[in-house]
Amino acid sequence: MAQDPDAELMAAFQRGDASAFRAIYERHARAMVAFCHRFVRDAARAEELAQDVFVKLHGSAGRWQPSARLKTYLYRIASNHCLNELRRGEYGARATERGGSPARDADALPDGGATPEDAAVGAALERAVRSLLDDLPEKQRAALVLCRFEGLSYEEIAEVLGTSVSAVKSLVHRATVAAAAALAPFAIPAKEALP
Amino acid sequence: MNHPREDLTALLDGALAPARRAVVERHLAACDACRAELGALRAGIAALAAVPPAPGPSPFFGARLEARLAGAAQPGLLARLAGWRWRLAAPAAALAASVAIAVGVVRQHRRDVEAMAAHLDLLEDYEVVASVGDVSTAEDAQIVASLDQLAPREGRP
Repeated sequence: MAQDPDAELMAAFQRGDASAFRAIYERHARAMVAFCHRFVRDAARAEELAQDVFVKLHGSAGRWQPSARLKTYLYRIASNHCLNELRRGEYGARATERGGSPARDADALPDGGATPEDAAVGAALERAVRSLLDDLPEKQRAALVLCRFEGLSYEEIAEVLGTSVSAVKSLVHRATVAAAAALAPFAIPAKEALP
Repeated sequence: MNHPREDLTALLDGALAPARRAVVERHLAACDACRAELGALRAGIAALAAVPPAPGPSPFFGARLEARLAGAAQPGLLARLAGWRWRLAAPAAALAASVAIAVGVVRQHRRDVEAMAAHLDLLEDYEVVASVGDVSTAEDAQIVASLDQLAPREGRP
Protein backbone atom coordinates (compact mmCIF):
# COMPACT_ATOMS: atom_id res chain seq x y z
CA MET A 1 0.00 0.00 0.00
CA ALA A 2 1.27 3.45 -0.86
CA GLN A 3 2.36 5.67 2.01
CA ASP A 4 -0.54 7.74 3.27
CA PRO A 5 0.57 11.37 2.96
CA ASP A 6 -1.51 12.19 6.03
CA ALA A 7 0.09 9.55 8.23
CA GLU A 8 3.01 11.74 9.26
CA LEU A 9 0.68 14.64 10.02
CA MET A 10 -1.49 12.44 12.20
CA ALA A 11 1.57 11.07 13.96
CA ALA A 12 2.78 14.62 14.60
CA PHE A 13 -0.62 15.58 15.96
CA GLN A 14 -0.62 12.56 18.23
CA ARG A 15 2.71 13.85 19.58
CA GLY A 16 1.00 17.15 20.40
CA ASP A 17 1.74 19.24 17.32
CA ALA A 18 -1.42 21.34 16.89
CA SER A 19 -0.20 22.77 13.58
CA ALA A 20 -0.28 19.24 12.13
CA PHE A 21 -4.01 19.04 12.79
CA ARG A 22 -4.45 22.41 11.11
CA ALA A 23 -2.62 21.08 8.08
CA ILE A 24 -4.92 18.06 8.03
CA TYR A 25 -8.13 20.02 7.97
CA GLU A 26 -6.73 22.47 5.45
CA ARG A 27 -6.00 19.50 3.18
CA HIS A 28 -9.41 17.91 3.55
CA ALA A 29 -11.90 20.66 4.42
CA ARG A 30 -12.93 21.30 0.82
CA ALA A 31 -13.63 17.64 0.13
CA MET A 32 -15.53 17.17 3.38
CA VAL A 33 -17.72 20.24 2.90
CA ALA A 34 -18.46 19.30 -0.71
CA PHE A 35 -19.24 15.71 0.25
CA CYS A 36 -21.61 16.80 3.02
CA HIS A 37 -23.25 19.26 0.65
CA ARG A 38 -24.22 16.41 -1.67
CA PHE A 39 -26.34 15.08 1.18
CA VAL A 40 -27.85 18.14 2.83
CA ARG A 41 -27.60 20.69 0.00
CA ASP A 42 -27.26 23.57 2.40
CA ALA A 43 -23.94 25.37 2.48
CA ALA A 44 -24.08 26.37 6.16
CA ARG A 45 -25.26 22.95 7.33
CA ALA A 46 -22.72 21.19 5.12
CA GLU A 47 -19.98 23.25 6.74
CA GLU A 48 -21.24 22.39 10.22
CA LEU A 49 -21.32 18.70 9.36
CA ALA A 50 -17.82 18.88 7.93
CA GLN A 51 -16.64 20.58 11.10
CA ASP A 52 -18.27 17.80 13.11
CA VAL A 53 -16.13 15.36 11.13
CA PHE A 54 -12.92 17.16 12.15
CA VAL A 55 -14.07 17.55 15.75
CA LYS A 56 -14.63 13.80 15.85
CA LEU A 57 -11.25 13.18 14.29
CA HIS A 58 -9.66 15.52 16.85
CA GLY A 59 -11.33 13.65 19.68
CA SER A 60 -10.42 10.22 18.41
CA ALA A 61 -6.93 10.99 17.11
CA GLY A 62 -5.36 9.06 19.97
CA ARG A 63 -7.03 5.89 18.74
CA TRP A 64 -6.16 6.40 15.08
CA GLN A 65 -3.87 3.74 13.63
CA PRO A 66 -1.54 4.36 10.69
CA SER A 67 -2.96 1.21 9.05
CA ALA A 68 -6.10 3.21 8.23
CA ARG A 69 -5.91 5.73 5.41
CA LEU A 70 -6.95 9.08 6.77
CA LYS A 71 -8.85 10.06 3.64
CA THR A 72 -11.12 7.03 3.79
CA TYR A 73 -11.34 7.38 7.58
CA LEU A 74 -12.65 10.93 7.16
CA TYR A 75 -15.11 9.91 4.45
CA ARG A 76 -16.30 7.11 6.67
CA ILE A 77 -17.03 9.51 9.54
CA ALA A 78 -18.66 11.94 7.12
CA SER A 79 -20.72 9.28 5.39
CA ASN A 80 -22.12 7.92 8.64
CA HIS A 81 -22.70 11.41 9.95
CA CYS A 82 -24.54 12.57 6.82
CA LEU A 83 -26.68 9.44 6.59
CA ASN A 84 -27.62 9.85 10.26
CA GLU A 85 -28.49 13.45 9.53
CA LEU A 86 -30.76 12.39 6.68
CA ARG A 87 -32.41 9.73 8.85
CA ARG A 88 -33.40 12.41 11.31
CA GLY A 89 -35.67 13.69 8.57
CA GLU A 90 -34.60 17.30 8.56
CA TYR A 91 -33.90 17.16 4.86
CA GLY A 92 -37.10 15.55 3.68
CA ALA A 93 -38.31 18.62 1.85
CA ARG A 94 -37.81 16.98 -1.50
CA ALA A 95 -40.73 18.74 -3.10
CA THR A 96 -39.24 22.09 -2.23
CA GLU A 97 -35.88 21.11 -3.56
CA ARG A 98 -37.30 19.64 -6.70
CA GLY A 99 -39.42 22.69 -7.18
CA GLY A 100 -36.26 24.49 -8.00
CA SER A 101 -35.46 26.59 -4.98
CA PRO A 102 -31.77 27.26 -5.22
CA ALA A 103 -29.84 25.39 -2.55
CA ARG A 104 -26.47 26.63 -3.66
CA ASP A 105 -24.64 29.77 -2.80
CA ALA A 106 -24.25 32.48 -5.36
CA ASP A 107 -20.57 31.68 -5.60
CA ALA A 108 -21.41 28.17 -6.70
CA LEU A 109 -23.38 29.24 -9.74
CA PRO A 110 -21.81 28.81 -13.14
CA ASP A 111 -19.02 31.27 -13.68
CA GLY A 112 -19.42 34.55 -15.43
CA GLY A 113 -18.44 33.06 -18.78
CA ALA A 114 -21.53 30.82 -18.91
CA THR A 115 -24.39 31.89 -21.13
CA PRO A 116 -27.89 32.14 -19.63
CA GLU A 117 -28.78 28.97 -21.52
CA ASP A 118 -25.80 27.14 -20.05
CA ALA A 119 -26.74 28.37 -16.61
CA ALA A 120 -30.31 27.18 -17.07
CA VAL A 121 -29.17 23.76 -18.26
CA GLY A 122 -26.72 23.55 -15.35
CA ALA A 123 -29.45 24.41 -12.85
CA ALA A 124 -31.80 21.84 -14.39
CA LEU A 125 -29.05 19.23 -14.28
CA GLU A 126 -28.45 19.97 -10.65
CA ARG A 127 -32.11 19.57 -9.84
CA ALA A 128 -32.18 16.28 -11.69
CA VAL A 129 -29.15 15.06 -9.76
CA ARG A 130 -30.69 16.10 -6.44
CA SER A 131 -33.81 14.19 -7.32
CA LEU A 132 -31.73 11.19 -8.36
CA LEU A 133 -29.77 11.19 -5.12
CA ASP A 134 -32.93 11.54 -3.06
CA ASP A 135 -34.42 8.49 -4.74
CA LEU A 136 -31.40 6.23 -4.36
CA PRO A 137 -31.08 3.84 -1.43
CA GLU A 138 -28.61 5.09 1.19
CA LYS A 139 -25.63 2.97 0.25
CA GLN A 140 -26.07 3.48 -3.49
CA ARG A 141 -26.26 7.20 -2.88
CA ALA A 142 -23.10 7.20 -0.81
CA ALA A 143 -21.30 4.97 -3.30
CA LEU A 144 -22.33 7.16 -6.24
CA VAL A 145 -21.24 10.38 -4.56
CA LEU A 146 -17.93 8.87 -3.46
CA CYS A 147 -17.25 7.45 -6.92
CA ARG A 148 -18.57 10.15 -9.28
CA PHE A 149 -18.06 13.33 -7.28
CA GLU A 150 -15.23 12.50 -4.91
CA GLY A 151 -13.26 10.30 -7.27
CA LEU A 152 -12.61 7.45 -4.85
CA SER A 153 -11.63 4.04 -6.16
CA TYR A 154 -13.81 0.99 -5.55
CA GLU A 155 -11.31 -0.18 -2.93
CA GLU A 156 -11.48 3.15 -1.11
CA ILE A 157 -15.28 3.17 -1.24
CA ALA A 158 -15.29 -0.33 0.23
CA GLU A 159 -13.18 0.96 3.13
CA VAL A 160 -15.48 3.92 3.65
CA LEU A 161 -18.68 1.90 3.59
CA GLY A 162 -17.21 -1.05 5.43
CA THR A 163 -18.11 -3.51 2.72
CA SER A 164 -16.44 -5.62 0.02
CA VAL A 165 -15.13 -4.39 -3.31
CA SER A 166 -17.56 -6.66 -5.14
CA ALA A 167 -20.43 -5.13 -3.18
CA VAL A 168 -19.19 -1.67 -4.12
CA LYS A 169 -19.02 -2.71 -7.76
CA SER A 170 -22.68 -3.67 -7.61
CA LEU A 171 -23.70 -0.53 -5.69
CA VAL A 172 -21.91 1.76 -8.12
CA HIS A 173 -23.30 -0.07 -11.13
CA ARG A 174 -26.91 0.10 -9.96
CA ALA A 175 -26.57 3.76 -9.02
CA THR A 176 -24.98 4.53 -12.38
CA VAL A 177 -27.78 2.74 -14.22
CA ALA A 178 -30.27 4.90 -12.31
CA ALA A 179 -28.21 8.01 -13.11
CA ALA A 180 -28.08 7.15 -16.80
CA ALA A 181 -31.87 6.86 -16.87
CA ALA A 182 -32.53 10.00 -14.82
CA LEU A 183 -30.02 12.16 -16.66
CA ALA A 184 -30.74 10.95 -20.19
CA PRO A 185 -32.11 14.40 -21.18
CA PHE A 186 -28.72 15.84 -20.32
CA ALA A 187 -26.76 13.10 -22.03
CA ILE A 188 -23.58 14.19 -23.67
CA PRO A 189 -22.89 12.35 -26.93
CA ALA A 190 -20.72 9.42 -25.99
CA LYS A 191 -17.71 8.15 -27.83
CA GLU A 192 -17.80 4.62 -29.03
CA ALA A 193 -14.28 3.74 -28.00
CA LEU A 194 -13.78 1.77 -24.84
CA PRO A 195 -12.00 3.50 -21.95
CA MET B 1 -25.74 -15.72 -23.70
CA ASN B 2 -24.77 -14.33 -20.30
CA HIS B 3 -24.57 -10.56 -20.40
CA PRO B 4 -21.91 -9.15 -18.07
CA ARG B 5 -24.04 -6.13 -17.16
CA GLU B 6 -22.61 -5.58 -13.70
CA ASP B 7 -19.15 -5.45 -15.25
CA LEU B 8 -19.98 -2.65 -17.68
CA THR B 9 -19.76 0.19 -15.16
CA ALA B 10 -16.60 -1.28 -13.68
CA LEU B 11 -15.18 -1.49 -17.20
CA LEU B 12 -15.82 2.23 -17.71
CA ASP B 13 -14.30 2.95 -14.30
CA GLY B 14 -11.18 0.94 -15.10
CA ALA B 15 -11.93 -1.31 -12.15
CA LEU B 16 -11.85 -4.70 -13.85
CA ALA B 17 -8.97 -7.10 -13.58
CA PRO B 18 -7.18 -7.56 -16.93
CA ALA B 19 -8.46 -11.09 -17.49
CA ARG B 20 -12.05 -10.11 -16.77
CA ARG B 21 -11.75 -7.02 -18.89
CA ALA B 22 -10.66 -9.13 -21.85
CA VAL B 23 -13.69 -11.38 -21.43
CA VAL B 24 -16.10 -8.42 -21.26
CA GLU B 25 -14.54 -6.75 -24.29
CA ARG B 26 -14.90 -9.93 -26.32
CA HIS B 27 -18.55 -10.06 -25.29
CA LEU B 28 -19.13 -6.45 -26.25
CA ALA B 29 -17.70 -7.04 -29.68
CA ALA B 30 -20.48 -9.54 -30.29
CA CYS B 31 -23.44 -8.06 -28.32
CA ASP B 32 -25.37 -5.02 -29.57
CA ALA B 33 -27.50 -4.83 -26.42
CA CYS B 34 -24.50 -4.62 -24.11
CA ARG B 35 -22.81 -2.06 -26.36
CA ALA B 36 -25.97 0.08 -26.20
CA GLU B 37 -26.07 -0.26 -22.43
CA LEU B 38 -22.42 0.63 -22.19
CA GLY B 39 -23.12 3.79 -24.23
CA ALA B 40 -25.99 4.79 -21.93
CA LEU B 41 -23.83 4.26 -18.85
CA ARG B 42 -21.03 6.30 -20.37
CA ALA B 43 -23.46 9.15 -21.13
CA GLY B 44 -24.80 9.04 -17.58
CA ILE B 45 -21.31 9.24 -16.16
CA ALA B 46 -20.53 12.16 -18.46
CA ALA B 47 -23.68 13.98 -17.32
CA LEU B 48 -22.68 13.51 -13.67
CA ALA B 49 -19.24 14.85 -14.48
CA ALA B 50 -20.86 18.00 -15.89
CA VAL B 51 -22.57 18.81 -12.57
CA PRO B 52 -21.00 21.94 -11.09
CA PRO B 53 -18.83 21.24 -8.07
CA ALA B 54 -20.41 21.56 -4.64
CA PRO B 55 -19.44 24.67 -2.69
CA GLY B 56 -16.32 24.48 -0.61
CA PRO B 57 -15.68 25.78 2.89
CA SER B 58 -16.30 29.41 3.76
CA PRO B 59 -13.32 31.65 4.62
CA PHE B 60 -14.30 31.26 8.27
CA PHE B 61 -14.18 27.47 8.32
CA GLY B 62 -10.80 27.25 10.03
CA ALA B 63 -11.54 29.95 12.60
CA ARG B 64 -14.87 28.38 13.52
CA LEU B 65 -13.36 24.94 13.79
CA GLU B 66 -10.51 26.20 15.98
CA ALA B 67 -13.06 27.93 18.21
CA ARG B 68 -15.08 24.73 18.56
CA LEU B 69 -11.99 22.72 19.35
CA ALA B 70 -10.86 25.31 21.91
CA GLY B 71 -14.29 25.21 23.54
CA ALA B 72 -14.29 21.43 23.65
CA ALA B 73 -10.80 21.46 25.14
CA GLN B 74 -11.83 23.57 28.17
CA PRO B 75 -13.47 21.22 30.69
CA GLY B 76 -14.88 22.33 34.03
CA LEU B 77 -12.68 23.10 37.03
CA LEU B 78 -13.10 19.68 38.63
CA ALA B 79 -12.28 17.90 35.40
CA ARG B 80 -9.21 20.09 34.93
CA LEU B 81 -8.04 19.39 38.47
CA ALA B 82 -8.66 15.69 37.94
CA GLY B 83 -6.56 15.85 34.82
CA TRP B 84 -3.73 17.50 36.77
CA ARG B 85 -3.98 15.34 39.88
CA TRP B 86 -0.78 13.44 39.26
CA ARG B 87 1.24 16.52 38.48
CA LEU B 88 -0.20 18.25 41.56
CA ALA B 89 0.42 15.31 43.89
CA ALA B 90 4.02 16.13 44.88
CA PRO B 91 3.48 19.86 45.52
CA ALA B 92 0.28 19.08 47.41
CA ALA B 93 2.09 16.58 49.65
CA ALA B 94 4.84 19.11 50.35
CA LEU B 95 2.26 21.75 51.17
CA ALA B 96 0.41 19.38 53.51
CA ALA B 97 3.66 18.52 55.30
CA SER B 98 4.49 22.22 55.71
CA VAL B 99 1.06 22.94 57.13
CA ALA B 100 1.36 20.01 59.56
CA ILE B 101 4.74 21.23 60.79
CA ALA B 102 3.44 24.77 61.16
CA VAL B 103 0.40 23.59 63.13
CA GLY B 104 2.68 21.51 65.40
CA VAL B 105 4.94 24.47 66.07
CA VAL B 106 2.00 26.74 66.84
CA ARG B 107 0.46 24.15 69.19
CA GLN B 108 3.73 23.65 71.02
CA HIS B 109 4.14 27.39 71.40
CA ARG B 110 0.60 27.64 72.74
CA ARG B 111 1.32 24.86 75.27
CA ASP B 112 4.43 26.74 76.44
CA VAL B 113 2.49 29.95 76.90
CA GLU B 114 -0.25 28.14 78.82
CA ALA B 115 2.34 26.49 81.08
CA MET B 116 3.97 29.84 81.75
CA ALA B 117 0.57 31.33 82.58
CA ALA B 118 -0.21 28.47 84.97
CA HIS B 119 3.01 29.10 86.88
CA LEU B 120 2.96 32.84 86.71
CA ASP B 121 2.88 33.10 90.47
CA LEU B 122 6.04 31.06 90.79
CA LEU B 123 7.76 33.25 88.24
CA GLU B 124 6.72 36.31 90.18
CA ASP B 125 8.01 34.73 93.36
CA TYR B 126 11.32 33.99 91.71
CA GLU B 127 11.45 37.61 90.54
CA VAL B 128 10.72 38.84 94.10
CA VAL B 129 13.48 36.70 95.45
CA ALA B 130 15.83 37.89 92.76
CA SER B 131 14.96 41.51 93.46
CA VAL B 132 15.78 41.16 97.16
CA GLY B 133 19.28 40.07 96.49
CA ASP B 134 21.40 36.97 96.61
CA VAL B 135 20.14 34.03 98.64
CA SER B 136 22.63 33.99 101.36
CA THR B 137 21.29 31.79 104.09
CA ALA B 138 20.46 28.10 104.13
CA GLU B 139 16.94 28.90 105.22
CA ASP B 140 16.39 31.23 102.30
CA ALA B 141 17.71 28.60 99.96
CA GLN B 142 15.24 26.06 101.28
CA ILE B 143 12.36 28.45 100.91
CA VAL B 144 13.28 29.23 97.34
CA ALA B 145 13.64 25.53 96.54
CA SER B 146 10.18 24.89 97.90
CA LEU B 147 8.38 27.79 96.19
CA ASP B 148 6.87 25.53 93.52
CA GLN B 149 5.23 23.43 96.20
CA LEU B 150 3.27 26.31 97.60
CA ALA B 151 -0.53 26.28 96.93
CA PRO B 152 -1.67 28.81 94.37
CA ARG B 153 -2.93 31.91 95.94
CA GLU B 154 -6.58 32.68 95.60
CA GLY B 155 -7.45 34.65 92.52
CA ARG B 156 -4.46 33.30 90.60
CA PRO B 157 -4.90 30.84 87.80
